Amino acid sequence: MGREITYLDAINEALHEEMERDASVLLLGQDIGPYGGAFKVTRGLFEKFGDQRVLEMPIAENGIVGTAIGLAYMGMKPVVEFQFIDFIACGFDQIVNFAATSRYRWGVPAHIVLRGPWGGMVRGGMFHSRTPEMWFAHSPGIKVVAPGTVRDAKGLMKAAIRDADPVLYLEHKWLYRRLKATLDDDVVTPIGKANVALEGDALTIITYGAFLTLCLDAAKELAKDGIRTEVVDLRTLYPLDRAAIVASVSKTNKVMIVHEDIRFGGIAGEIAMTINEECFDKLDGPIVRVTPPDTPVPYSPPLEDAFYPNVGRIVKAARKLARY
Amino acid sequence: MPTDVKMPQMGESIYEGTVTKWLKKEGDAVKKDEALYEISTDKVDTEIPSPVSGRLVKIVVAVGSKVPIHTVVAQVEEGSGASSTPAPTPVKVEAPKPVPTPAPTPVRNLQPVGALAGQPAEVIHTTTARFVTEESTEGVFASPLVKKIAKDEGIDLRTVKGTGIQGRITKEDIIRALESKRGGAPAPVEVRATPTPSPVPVQPTPAATHATSAGRVDVVPMSTMRAKIAEHMTMSRRTSAHVTTVFEVDVSKIWSIREAEKTDFERVYGTKLTFTPFFASAAIQAIKDFPIINSSVDGSNILYKRFVNLGIAVALPEGLIVPVVKNADEKSFLGLCKSVNDLAERARSKKLAVDDIQGGTFTITNPGIYGGLFGTPIISQPQVAIMGLGGIEKRPVVVNDAIAIRPMCYIVLSFDHRVIDGAVADQFMARVKQLLQEWTTPIK
Amino acid sequence: MARKTQPAGDASSISPELKREMYRYLRLQRAVEERAEKLYKGGHIHGGNFSGRGQEAISVGTALALEPKDKIAPMIRNLGAVLVRGYSPKDVFSSFLAKATSPNGGKDNSTHFGEVQNRGVIACISMLGTLVPVMTGMALAAKLKKQPIVTLTYVGDGTTSTGEFHEGLNIAALYQVPFILIIENNQFAYSTPVARQTPVKDLATKAAAYGIPYAIGDGNDVFEVYRLTKKYVDEARAGGGPRVIEFKTLRMRGHAQHDPADYVPRELVAEWEKKDPIDRCEKALLAEGLMTEKHRDDIIARINTQVSEAEQFAINAPFPDPKETVRGVFADDSIVPYTPWEER
Repeated sequence: MGREITYLDAINEALHEEMERDASVLLLGQDIGPYGGAFKVTRGLFEKFGDQRVLEMPIAENGIVGTAIGLAYMGMKPVVEFQFIDFIACGFDQIVNFAATSRYRWGVPAHIVLRGPWGGMVRGGMFHSRTPEMWFAHSPGIKVVAPGTVRDAKGLMKAAIRDADPVLYLEHKWLYRRLKATLDDDVVTPIGKANVALEGDALTIITYGAFLTLCLDAAKELAKDGIRTEVVDLRTLYPLDRAAIVASVSKTNKVMIVHEDIRFGGIAGEIAMTINEECFDKLDGPIVRVTPPDTPVPYSPPLEDAFYPNVGRIVKAARKLARY
Repeated sequence: MPTDVKMPQMGESIYEGTVTKWLKKEGDAVKKDEALYEISTDKVDTEIPSPVSGRLVKIVVAVGSKVPIHTVVAQVEEGSGASSTPAPTPVKVEAPKPVPTPAPTPVRNLQPVGALAGQPAEVIHTTTARFVTEESTEGVFASPLVKKIAKDEGIDLRTVKGTGIQGRITKEDIIRALESKRGGAPAPVEVRATPTPSPVPVQPTPAATHATSAGRVDVVPMSTMRAKIAEHMTMSRRTSAHVTTVFEVDVSKIWSIREAEKTDFERVYGTKLTFTPFFASAAIQAIKDFPIINSSVDGSNILYKRFVNLGIAVALPEGLIVPVVKNADEKSFLGLCKSVNDLAERARSKKLAVDDIQGGTFTITNPGIYGGLFGTPIISQPQVAIMGLGGIEKRPVVVNDAIAIRPMCYIVLSFDHRVIDGAVADQFMARVKQLLQEWTTPIK
Repeated sequence: MARKTQPAGDASSISPELKREMYRYLRLQRAVEERAEKLYKGGHIHGGNFSGRGQEAISVGTALALEPKDKIAPMIRNLGAVLVRGYSPKDVFSSFLAKATSPNGGKDNSTHFGEVQNRGVIACISMLGTLVPVMTGMALAAKLKKQPIVTLTYVGDGTTSTGEFHEGLNIAALYQVPFILIIENNQFAYSTPVARQTPVKDLATKAAAYGIPYAIGDGNDVFEVYRLTKKYVDEARAGGGPRVIEFKTLRMRGHAQHDPADYVPRELVAEWEKKDPIDRCEKALLAEGLMTEKHRDDIIARINTQVSEAEQFAINAPFPDPKETVRGVFADDSIVPYTPWEER
């Protein structure tokens, strides 16, 4: 606290502080011990807490998640790292079939935290750029959070560790060292609450994760033309903060959803239906979305750049909507 | 030559009225100023006196007909002579919406609470406008928002110019149309929704407006008064940012004053000493310290009234009406007391004039008479505050660290947070409370 | 649970009370499952009904080798273990019939219920192998907390092919956790015989890949099941790490009640019928004079009464309230429910 830290530092700090606060918090993952993790997110924790709290694991995502569930059943708070979130698919069975259903089917929660670096724009290719959020938002029993600021990186990690249910915490690798901020207070961000990152009245942009940064840049551009954009940062994907969405759309009457996830089955569809159900009469224009196409993330730079929406595309869509 | 009796204009913005009852039959004698017939308008239901003495020779407009102002509704032959001119055939004007024939309880002189003395023009179009929706939006390129505003405000979209893409009617277009309809006074079109914490739709649940289960649902059309109340209440809520603050007052001092004085008071001044003038007096004095309470909003301006026209809500069997004590701030306690009683009496006997219910700047209502602790009243537009009085009840309270039994009363202020902040509202109420608890005003 | 366990270290002989207790539980499992077959035919049980007929000795013998503080995850053919751990036939039928009286409130089927603190029973799911890492994790927790707790679960022959079987054993061995894995080789995974499931004949040998000590035993001899399991449980509790035991048996019914299992050779069935675990236990008790025929008849009669009453109880029990559908997903029950548009 008090000095400027990066988004990555914020996660590291949250882990330090939570492991200090609660002796039942354990870490599981590959290379998270002395090596400090592939991205150094768990730096210093092995030295401070030892090998009974920082447990290095072999390459066995289902096995690791299952082990974490068993630890949770015995009253511990495991935090599982997926070296790249892409590998969460290797632990899919334990997550959606065992952990997610646990409280519902037999009343015992599997309160584990699943975390890992997600998203792209880093020239990582299709196996190091995945956006898995909707697989798990679509599995009842898991909460899904995706911080887009340094503050929420820390606050949501704490909230996830303290939550009574399984939480998927998506930390964006493009934000790791790019975002910096000074946090001068302890923060626990409530899960299930969006944040109005920027107030406006001409139109609303709803977004999350790394794209919050892109949307805020777009808003600056639009402000030059007198278009005051309101930017809503979802922060939590499940449970979705429907009230915040309705409030903003009711205020500006125009809305655009911008996300890094692909077009088909991305959360824009769910948000659009929410708006349709809750505040149809407030719409002064169609619900617009700006997303990548339905392809795996390509590797070659011009292909990747064509894949991801950029600030220019967001601005163009916003201008067209504002004019409608 | 018979004298024409014409539909009067009950207020600057009224342009039509409905005849709801004839108090005399054709051929009956009638004296000048005697009540001849009853009407209902968007502002007030009232009885209309005969302009001359004589005989009612012709009823021209039948009960249930809505006609423009100045329409001849009847003819009275002055004196006792019969008229020689042929009576014109009765005109029954078909109203676009059937006005229900007066129910067994006559609807007279009723003003819904929270409305409307000095009401700007936007209320009038209610009845005709309700059917603008279907026809007026067909084939018009407008968004859901624009269509809803058009429906709520009774605007025919075919008359609105669209400046959006491909001639679409935009939000700005309809707001402009609304403002010009209201004659320039920028009307606060409420397009904001109260953020709902739970998945409850912002749109009100559509009530069953037609009998879907045959024989098990009674369809009763609203009376004119009820429809007006419905319209006015929702409009007030849409206009003002309603907040209510509650205070508890120890009324033991004014209680004992009243107990001691009421008999003499009534004997000497011929008028009852109720609690109302105490509260009214305290409110008026407090308004002097917090004039914003006595203001109104005009676009982005606040209009501070230099006078207090105090509305006092009166409960009648058929509903609520709010007669206004004009220039209440210039009256003594006795003067206030007399005015309040006089207005209440005339309200009950349906002898209020239009002027009696217009021009209020602040209102006091008394929802506590049926035993409730306190209410959360709706502001009477275009005022910015309304004070509600709860019931007076003896309660155990702490006085100097001991339990005492005192007559206590909750008073509330519903205020418009656009111009009144919580701190100001509370300071105003604290002052009212102080004045009541430390009562020093001479009452005679 | 009112029963005595053998003192540690004395695994070679089993007390008469314990033997009689084993017999009772064997009989109880058989009786409950036979009754369940009738309930399924009567339409009271929906979906599928699964039988552990012929394998009762494995369930009963292993469960009795544990202490109350140990944690066990029975699979769907381990009904005997569920009963040993203190669940009653009323609980079991309530769960099969999906009534409100079910330990899981009707949310899941079969024996997918449990309770961690007191009964120490972990509810299984339909995905096979998932319990291997989960029970590994529970054993790891015990080790980290220095609690003398052992965990145990079962896999069938088919499950030894799954990734999670291997991932779990690997982690268990790396961390040397007090975890016992019972391989119940009943020779068929649905219609797939072991020979077409995996190339090796003795499945426990797969434990060697992870350096885990293993044993192979007769799954239809309840005393042998008990002795082998008790030995390994004691070793694990003493810090010896995970153990694997393969018990040979045969599945005497189809994969589920709707499966006639014609693919199982009749001779095989006839051969194993002679090895029925209940017959063998009964014969041993009678022969050793630990039980009279009268005593046996009493046991059977009492069990039948208990099972009949439980059956009636479950049939008469109410179904869960439909409002329960949207409850219990999260700790916060306000997250999931909503009013559909047409209801507003």
